[in-house]
Amino acid sequence: MRKRPQISPTLLAVLFLAPSAIGLLVFRLGPIVWSFALSFYDWRIFDTPVWAGLDNYVHILNSPIAGRVFLNTLWFAMLYVPGSVGIALVLAVLLNNSLRSSAFFRGSFFLPYITSTVAVTLAWRWIFSTRFGLLNNLLKGLGWSDPPAWLADPAWALPSVAIVSIWKDCGFYMLLLLAGLQTVDPTFHEAAKIDGAGPLKRFWQITVPLISRSLFFVLILALVRSTQTFEITYALTGGGPNRASTTLAYYVYENAFVHFDMGYASALAYLLCIAVGLVTLVNFHFRRRWVHE
Amino acid sequence: MKRSSPFAALVLVAVSGQVLAQETVLRYMSWDPAQLEIEGPAIEEFETAHNVTVETQALPPDDYWPRLSALAAAGDLPDVFAMSSGFVAEWAEAGNLANLGEQMEGVDLNAYYGAAIEAGMVDGEPYAFPQNWVAPVLYYNKDAFDAAGVDYPSDDWTWDDFLNAAKALTIDENGDGEPEQWGYYFYGRYAHTDGWIFRNGGRLINAEETALEPTQEAVNALEFLVGLVSEHTVAPQPQSLEGVRQQDVFPLGMAAMWVDGTWNIDNTRQVAGDSFAWGIAPIPMGPDATPETAVTYAWADMMSIAETSEQKDLAWQFIQHMVGEGRTPADFPGGKVPAYKAIAETESWLEEGLQPDNKGLILELGAQPTYTGFSKNWSAWRGYAAAGSGGMNGEIDEVLNGRKSLDEAIDAFVAYGNDVLSR
Repeated sequence: MRKRPQISPTLLAVLFLAPSAIGLLVFRLGPIVWSFALSFYDWRIFDTPVWAGLDNYVHILNSPIAGRVFLNTLWFAMLYVPGSVGIALVLAVLLNNSLRSSAFFRGSFFLPYITSTVAVTLAWRWIFSTRFGLLNNLLKGLGWSDPPAWLADPAWALPSVAIVSIWKDCGFYMLLLLAGLQTVDPTFHEAAKIDGAGPLKRFWQITVPLISRSLFFVLILALVRSTQTFEITYALTGGGPNRASTTLAYYVYENAFVHFDMGYASALAYLLCIAVGLVTLVNFHFRRRWVHE
Repeated sequence: MKRSSPFAALVLVAVSGQVLAQETVLRYMSWDPAQLEIEGPAIEEFETAHNVTVETQALPPDDYWPRLSALAAAGDLPDVFAMSSGFVAEWAEAGNLANLGEQMEGVDLNAYYGAAIEAGMVDGEPYAFPQNWVAPVLYYNKDAFDAAGVDYPSDDWTWDDFLNAAKALTIDENGDGEPEQWGYYFYGRYAHTDGWIFRNGGRLINAEETALEPTQEAVNALEFLVGLVSEHTVAPQPQSLEGVRQQDVFPLGMAAMWVDGTWNIDNTRQVAGDSFAWGIAPIPMGPDATPETAVTYAWADMMSIAETSEQKDLAWQFIQHMVGEGRTPADFPGGKVPAYKAIAETESWLEEGLQPDNKGLILELGAQPTYTGFSKNWSAWRGYAAAGSGGMNGEIDEVLNGRKSLDEAIDAFVAYGNDVLSR
């Protein structure tokens, strides 16, 4: 009998990894490196790239808009990260039991995360509509004669985007935290209970420290996602009114695919990348102070 | 079952290869899927007459431009593609568009609207050929005018006439301070405000198109418009109607007058149905303008040939077919005016029996001096599409919503505009 040709395990591993690795290289890592190079070019997609040195970065620093967009991104993160993680934590703790109804509520809270973003955002747009919206008619019914123009008032537009984003994502974070909560040994709680610790004390002294690793992961995830908000902004406010809800990811899209200024958009994307990287580094630095390994 | 011989298969492959090699394929891309469907029979006719296959693709504008730009970057532009008055200069300067001068030598340009032909010229050379053109007009609700006892807008209406009509047409039936019918509706959108500026003889950008320098006539026009909301309260603050599609405000009867492009005739027909009678009129000429300086805001949708196309003559024949004799008035329903006069100036295009009953007015506008207002980076400084909440659009809305003075807004949009124009 003829002996089958032998493939070395290394080659086999490379072959199996190749489809994902090539995809990652071509569609992720390649563009990441390429866009860094592009940030030093003046390139309208349909034109020839022209070397521009640091011009794009200088333009961003001198732009009358870019500073506001950076601040909007920061403000959004400040609303979104504590909002989504806080609500997710409360929901996870409330639903961390074996009651039958809990499964239903877990599913219900997770549902927004898997529904079409644009579709649900359009529904929210009707809810927020100034004159004919559900929310304002409800508020009027409760006696607020002049409720805000949620999506057209600069003070409310970004918080409105944050509300929808929190509503959409907190179910996902809840699920991650629930997984963490399931690993907490109930005997800790029982012992604390016997020692007379109340529910709040047990939550802060036992639950939070024991799920701190999950919490840290969710926090980093929420932070990164807060800088990537795009679809909801696009469908809800279009970045308005007058830039009040334009965050960096949206501004990158606008410059790349509306104005086709790829060099400028790449430079913006890299500044965003640096900002997120720095915040993540700071988080990792403080990690050992509160995360129990 | 009998197995076919390898030889027969080889012959078949060779023959079909020969056939494929002989087939001429012309690639055509458009930004209007609905329009491409209408164009189907005309394209088939061209295919039969020239024994070619036309490969078509249509994407809505938000997807069309990124896709077309990517194809340009890859050196793979279709032979023929739709081109906007707003982008033709940048695309020609980037070397993507074929100069049509040679092909156009034998064409009787008088058969087309002059302003539409002009829209495809870059530095005196033609880089796009017009298919149809559009212009903002004043839509008015005839039933509301009749009920208020106001005469319909006429060609010699002044801005005072317009204001008086708007006052009479603003009706707060239940006295809650929020009129059920506003006299007029607009916001900072280009199609809502720029027509007023140009009809007052104003300009937003300098002649070289290098910097935003709003003229006094432009500022006066903006002041007049802002006054409609803040002083005369005949138009709503835009934020109060957030959530209602802008193109539905007039057809839903929430405002008795509205200025927008003729392309919205279709939507107005669909949404308003038979609920009220309506007509269209020119935007009234401003007090600072003379008939010579009061230009009509209008622009053309065009077709271009890729500089990289290897069949430019065939592509030109296709364009000629698609903009001229190969088309019928029924191919241009609603407010898109065929650039080819022989199709536009027909009873059939006027669509008798449908509203508005005076579509001929649009043809009159096409005979007047027109101005497109476009420049490099227009979408950014003007605030258009996904950038519609920013630029001049966003700043004017801040004024209309009572959060900024007009002077502050002008300073802000000029600073931003000059920043993007300097890139």
